[in-house]
Amino acid sequence: MELFLMTITTGVMVGGIYALVALGWVLIYKCSGVLNLAMGELTLIGAYVSLTFYQMGVPFLLALLLSLIIGFILGILTERIFLDRLIGQPVLTVIMVTVGLSFFFKGIIQLIWGTDTRVFSPSVFPLKPIIIGPLIIGQVYLWSFIAAIILLCIFVCFFKYTRWGLAMQATADDEMAALSLGVSARFVYAAAWAIAFMAAGVGGTLLGNINGLNVSVGYLGLLVLPAVVLGGLNSVPGAIVGGIVIGILQNLSGAYLDRYFPGGVKEVAPFVFMAIFLLFKPHGIWGWERIERV
Amino acid sequence: MSTTWLPCGTYHQNYAEDQSLWQTKFIKGKMILLFAILFMGIPLFADSYWLSVCNTIGYTILGALGVQLLIGFCGQVTLGHAAFLAVGAYTSTLLILEIPWPQALMDFGIAYPLSIVIAAITAGIVSVIFGLPSARVKGFYLILTTMAAQFIIVDFIITQYVSQIGGRGQAFSIPPEAIKVGPFTIDSDIKVYFMMLTIVILCVTLVVNLLRSRVGRAWVAIRDNDISADVMGINVIKYKLLAFFVAGFIGGLAGAFWISNLAAISPEHFPWFWSLWLVGVILIGGVGSIHGTIFGSIFMVVVMELLQFAVMPLADSYPKLLMDFLFIKEAAFGLAICAFMIFEPNGLSYRWWQIKNYFNLWPFSY
Repeated sequence: MELFLMTITTGVMVGGIYALVALGWVLIYKCSGVLNLAMGELTLIGAYVSLTFYQMGVPFLLALLLSLIIGFILGILTERIFLDRLIGQPVLTVIMVTVGLSFFFKGIIQLIWGTDTRVFSPSVFPLKPIIIGPLIIGQVYLWSFIAAIILLCIFVCFFKYTRWGLAMQATADDEMAALSLGVSARFVYAAAWAIAFMAAGVGGTLLGNINGLNVSVGYLGLLVLPAVVLGGLNSVPGAIVGGIVIGILQNLSGAYLDRYFPGGVKEVAPFVFMAIFLLFKPHGIWGWERIERV
Repeated sequence: MSTTWLPCGTYHQNYAEDQSLWQTKFIKGKMILLFAILFMGIPLFADSYWLSVCNTIGYTILGALGVQLLIGFCGQVTLGHAAFLAVGAYTSTLLILEIPWPQALMDFGIAYPLSIVIAAITAGIVSVIFGLPSARVKGFYLILTTMAAQFIIVDFIITQYVSQIGGRGQAFSIPPEAIKVGPFTIDSDIKVYFMMLTIVILCVTLVVNLLRSRVGRAWVAIRDNDISADVMGINVIKYKLLAFFVAGFIGGLAGAFWISNLAAISPEHFPWFWSLWLVGVILIGGVGSIHGTIFGSIFMVVVMELLQFAVMPLADSYPKLLMDFLFIKEAAFGLAICAFMIFEPNGLSYRWWQIKNYFNLWPFSY
């Protein structure tokens, strides 16, 4: 029972990070209709940038802020250079451009930072676990979760109360109507990519704090794909719920199924679950069911 | 074939002529010349290195052909095709290694061809299993289920379980004398080359002819609009699954063939990168065109070899480059895909078609 509770809590906390990254993904999809397969590499970029700053002696929060700024710039550049020309192209073309981008980023990352695992040293969060009743939680998880929740709140407020956020919501809802009301769609696309880069960067930094940083953290970034599919592609609450569900599932299968199927159950379980789930609910939990007409 | 331009004075006098694959004497001559170059010219003049490049091209063509069939002709985007290649390769290897073949079958070289066929069918069936969600889901959701195929099959089942069979450790080494087709032991590049050529030609012929038949027309109808295809009386699910089967079959064939070129196989030969690479190949070559598959494969393999030529001389002065070449290759591949998607979304086959048209219509090319 204690194991169960512990796995669930850890799952929720890691899931919070996934939710943050998934939010960035859904944002891009809702605003510009781009299905982004480069999410894993976006998490890596942010994580490595903040790690580099941190190793240079910059305080952690400042390093995170700097990586946010760089993520913002990179996001806008990526959108302007690659994605802007693809508006109106078939879906597969756009997807493959993001795949191309993911290779490009991955190659560059490995070229610059190598393939060895790097850790944040001295460690950012205290190593001593916190004990709440029967639960033992690593501080890394707790703080990551708190950071993720704070950022999620900031994002939600951004969409609800600021002018930019409202413009993005309008574009996501109905591009034509938004355009006719004077919202610049190009600006919104760029902003969506910038925010996705930033969200992924924070997620990557937090994930990198848990187990050290190497290219396989990018695989964790890829786990947002089952998360968003679970929640439904175009639903922000779906992304958050999906992220947390995937986090829980991943840890539960790691704790319980590993005995029966030794090896990498933890890594594939989200994908298996997603494939089975899609058979019963082809549009996720809250995804729009498009009515198709010939 | 709608893209064939008939020269003046060429008439079709019966149905067979109208349906023939090679319609004019010129095309027949061209194809015979091509075969002559493939079967005689290249083996005569190419050295071992270029033969191995040709073999890689052939392997890429075989892998990409299945992807082309699914994406280009049936509209089912797949990002996990390397999994089916892996299924083929592993089935074939295990059949050779684990089954006590009667000595007679080994001597006559039946074991390996038989294992290729069984491997291809197995890969086809596995492909159908992972194609089953296509009955319910479409678009991005389907892309993710095919991605799941890659992670489940290669990263989990093969790495964790299949690799344990026989207690050989991660890599299965294949004894060279076991790879025997008829009287020939496939132990040199030139023999692999001829085997590759045979399989590629058979597969391309199979796919080209399938596409001209009822099945192919049904696939194209599903690609263009699955609802209207359904309304026209095409059993959409059946034909989608058939497409998955044929694609998996060719993929399994490719994997099973490729073990003849490898001394040992391990899961690292079939990474997710390779699935995406195959999709990249058909996008660069041109979606919905068999020519495109071949051009794309040749282009990608040759460009990567040339990149190697360009980088290697620098490696003397910068030894780090040798290690980093893999990453440079990855980044270059990514950039190439982006550039092609942005500047040449129709792929190389469209360019080829334009050049051909220019000469067909010359001198009045308007």
